[in-house]
Amino acid sequence: MPDCTTNCVNEDILTMTIERYAAPQSLDEALGILQQGEVTILAGGTDLMPQTKAGRIAFKPTLMNIGRVAGLKGVSLDGAYLRIGALTTISELLRDPLVVQHAPVLAEACDQFASDQIRNAGTLGGNINNASPAGDTLVPLIVLDAEVELASKPNGSVTTRRLPLAEFFTGPGRTKRAANELLTAVRVPLPQPGHVARFYKFGTRPALDISTISIGIAGIKRDGALTDIRVAFGAVAPTPVRAPRTEAALEGRPLDAEAIAAAADTARDEVSPIDDVRATAWYRKELIHNMTRRMLDHVAKA
Amino acid sequence: MNVAEKPVIAAASLIGQRIQKKDAPEKAAGKTRYIQDMVVPGMLHAKILRSSRVHAKIKSIDTSAAKALPGVHVVLTAADVPDQQPIGVARDHLPLKGERVRSLRDEIAAVAADSDEIAEAALKLIRVEYEDLPVIATPEDAIKPGAPLIHPAPLDAHGRPQSLPPKTPIAFAGKADNIAMRFDYTHGDIAQAEAESDVVVEDSFQLHYVTHCCMGVSGVIAEFDASGNLLMYSNTQVPFLHKREFAEYLNIDPSRVRIIQPPIGGGFGSKLDIYPFEVICIFLARAAKRPVKMVFTREEEFLASPTRQPVLLTLRSGCRKDGTLTFRQVHTLHDNGAYTSWGATTPFVMMQTFSSLYRVPACDYHTTVVYTNNPYAGSFRGYGNLQATFAIEQHMDMLAEKIGMDPLDFRMKNAQDVGEVTGQGMEFKSCGFKECLTTAAERSDYRKKHADNIANRNARGPVKRGIGIASMLHVGGGAKIYPSDGCGTILKLDDFANVTLITGASEIGQGSETVLSQLVCEELGLPISAVTVVNNDTAITPWDVGVHASRTTFIAGNSAIGAARKAKAKILAAAAKKHGCGEAALDLRGGFVVVAETGEPVVELARLMRNLHFSDKAELVMTTFYYEPPSVHQDKAFKGDVSAAYAWAAQVVEVEVDTETGIVKMTKVTGTHDVGRVLNRLGLEGQIEGGVVMGQGYALTENLIVENGVTRNPNFRDYKLVTAPEIPEMDITFVESMDGEGPQGAKGVGEAPAICIAAAAANAIHNATGVRIFGLPFTPEAVYRALRGKSDKPHWPAWKPE
Repeated sequence: MPDCTTNCVNEDILTMTIERYAAPQSLDEALGILQQGEVTILAGGTDLMPQTKAGRIAFKPTLMNIGRVAGLKGVSLDGAYLRIGALTTISELLRDPLVVQHAPVLAEACDQFASDQIRNAGTLGGNINNASPAGDTLVPLIVLDAEVELASKPNGSVTTRRLPLAEFFTGPGRTKRAANELLTAVRVPLPQPGHVARFYKFGTRPALDISTISIGIAGIKRDGALTDIRVAFGAVAPTPVRAPRTEAALEGRPLDAEAIAAAADTARDEVSPIDDVRATAWYRKELIHNMTRRMLDHVAKA
Repeated sequence: MNVAEKPVIAAASLIGQRIQKKDAPEKAAGKTRYIQDMVVPGMLHAKILRSSRVHAKIKSIDTSAAKALPGVHVVLTAADVPDQQPIGVARDHLPLKGERVRSLRDEIAAVAADSDEIAEAALKLIRVEYEDLPVIATPEDAIKPGAPLIHPAPLDAHGRPQSLPPKTPIAFAGKADNIAMRFDYTHGDIAQAEAESDVVVEDSFQLHYVTHCCMGVSGVIAEFDASGNLLMYSNTQVPFLHKREFAEYLNIDPSRVRIIQPPIGGGFGSKLDIYPFEVICIFLARAAKRPVKMVFTREEEFLASPTRQPVLLTLRSGCRKDGTLTFRQVHTLHDNGAYTSWGATTPFVMMQTFSSLYRVPACDYHTTVVYTNNPYAGSFRGYGNLQATFAIEQHMDMLAEKIGMDPLDFRMKNAQDVGEVTGQGMEFKSCGFKECLTTAAERSDYRKKHADNIANRNARGPVKRGIGIASMLHVGGGAKIYPSDGCGTILKLDDFANVTLITGASEIGQGSETVLSQLVCEELGLPISAVTVVNNDTAITPWDVGVHASRTTFIAGNSAIGAARKAKAKILAAAAKKHGCGEAALDLRGGFVVVAETGEPVVELARLMRNLHFSDKAELVMTTFYYEPPSVHQDKAFKGDVSAAYAWAAQVVEVEVDTETGIVKMTKVTGTHDVGRVLNRLGLEGQIEGGVVMGQGYALTENLIVENGVTRNPNFRDYKLVTAPEIPEMDITFVESMDGEGPQGAKGVGEAPAICIAAAAANAIHNATGVRIFGLPFTPEAVYRALRGKSDKPHWPAWKPE
């Protein structure tokens, strides 16, 4: 395995402090390396590279490239679920026939994701683990009720647990993934009859932009009303968030102008975004209100 | 009988053709070697330590740990270069700062090391102790009585301000106030003109920071030979001016400075001044006795390369009920930043637009440029004209509305025409302005759409459509700012009738090599492929003032034509002599000397060249020409015909405004430019399209956010350039006014296309929504706030120092 330390003149002050590079071929091997601790995981690298360069993330002594781990790529049907391997790239998701058929809202979000170059390298697992409140796949996956699959090898054998994606995030860049765990897949339940889902991303330009806000809405539409509603917002809190009060304002009510207006008002009050270089909190709340209303108008008319 | 038809070469012209840029294949193939790609044997890599404070005294700098780092060759601070001289137009800027930092970009130390990584690591080992000073973050604060001084005079041993001899540069003597420069211009009787006005409007306009975003970031390699001669590989746009200035800083003879320009990845004005990094790189090379290379990171490029000049401007305009303009009164406050570069001098161009874009009997213009702790502005395509046009062209619409006149008719009534001499002394010997206005308006269906959009403002649906027009005037025949505005050419033909065109004019991506080759080939009847251009080495090329003021096609073009015509005369004389015919009857076509009237070939040009060369009286065809335009310097009152020709344009911008998000989509730009004459149609279209997109970014998305002296978005993630899907449909047409002085009738166009877009977009947003926005950029939130009545209108009471 290549080792860079011998060439470094003064390892503690040079930006590159990686002592070991690992490129495991199997999940078992990868989890074994993770279990030893102090590992930075590299998948597509589209977040890791700029963030380490900018000094926001420090490399751990071991850099593990999981790109060659077998079985972490691709989309398949798994009973009543769509199973998406963590290494599936955003470009692959965008074109995948199963995704287009069963989770078109996710493909739509992928179509608004960064640029072709980044979509070709960036992976779904990476987008989730980066845990940005503005991560483009997170809001649609949350409203699709996705769950993540986490594997580890604590006692010499591989174990797996599942967690709803909506509960996975604990803060910007932080998740419930333990240091010895690898996110291996995402599972999305197959849509029920009457299923509708919408995604909206607002940025100042249609490509290469980070969300100012994003909105996901999904539910079952029957007789002009939505049930089993999930609403999620991106870039208005430290993590992508479900909006239970907005959901409650809509659940089971006929989707008329009055209900839509009330839901949009609730949405505006429910979020508490911050001011940053991209937008003020006030403007984000206005966008949440106006666009939730616009999306619900479209759902009502569809 | 078997008789072949007599071959005849018909006259053909390259003018107006679509000619591929000569450097296009290399660039498209990724083979162009920029300064980033260059490796000079033995070279070191350099990095600069910049201030971490916006405004502070430097208490101490400790470089001992950095110097001890293996792989580090040189660490320099101001103390190590006691001979450093101030740079910049106001001589207020020492490259390395020893006593005080005045902005976050300030250079404190520099390292030359075996690699970029080691140099970077060494920077982290340098300890700097600061004592913070109050930050002046706005020009309004800088002119308040008692405001802290950005460049205070140094104190003597008794703590009193030292008084140094007059003419001591500001960098050493300080400045007793924060006023860096002033510009005051006037023509006509303002008071009388205002009294004669039926309508007067007054508004303040706020123009923001944007930056050039050249794909090729700043970079330089400096190297001294054993005799102490300096060789620089530099991205500069003005090699001959730099050669002289660097010699001055180093106290050596200018002949000992040689500048070679590798292919330059965009300039747009950013590479028009000398910057600290270049001088520092030279210091490092001098100290290391090795070549030293310094190339900015993208973040550094955002932080430490110049910006467009931010401006706060109050404009008062008047007209009569019949639509005649009466006067304009302008006060601007320019944020100079901590040091003075070319941004401070944008009033030269701004006042031209105020005084002369339209016929205005009285104009009163005042600019105060003030020091702050912000980044400093340089020259940037348009040079103040985007800012001036933004204000004027909104007021044109507002005045028209007040008197109930169609905005196009109002412009036509006041538009300049051929033969006009303006109050500022500009003489319009060619002027297609009115035709630009009517063409752009007709092609975009401006009148009908303008009326329809107003009628539809209250229709259902969140998206409103708008259309807006704006016009511009810009120098199109150089600008006589320096002692000479000229350009030299050396032209030689080889034994195969291939041409080497040695020109002072730099290629910075604008296509000058191609258009100059075209002009030469037009004279010599050769294909473009017969020309090799040499234009990047001050040891070879004749003098040129540099790439600025949209001057290259006009000035270097006339120079190239001059050299080519001399060569042609020599060739025809030789052919006439050899073949016994009158030279007036001959011409050059398709690589042959031909009989002009019939096209009948006389001799192949290559053959003639060889005959000349390999004869008893061996002769080569080699000519030189220096073209100096017939323009004049402005007098002290800023009056004079400063350019040999003037360019005009009208642009119509169409937008869709989503009133629920504030996002403005630019759907179409219809532009008509008076270019004098179309030379390379392909290059011209590219130049216009690029300029429109640059104007679009200025109007809608680009915003270098500077808060309390700190640049908040030094990256392409948050500094938003326009991307491909947002680029509007474009309908670009040309008016050929055939300028009498221009090369083949052409005028400059480099800066023109960026100038009107923001102003036209402002008018279009107003047309769509009824809301007028006085500050840029029109980002979604800014527009949304304006639509909800929640934005503060810029307000600045017209002010000038007593």
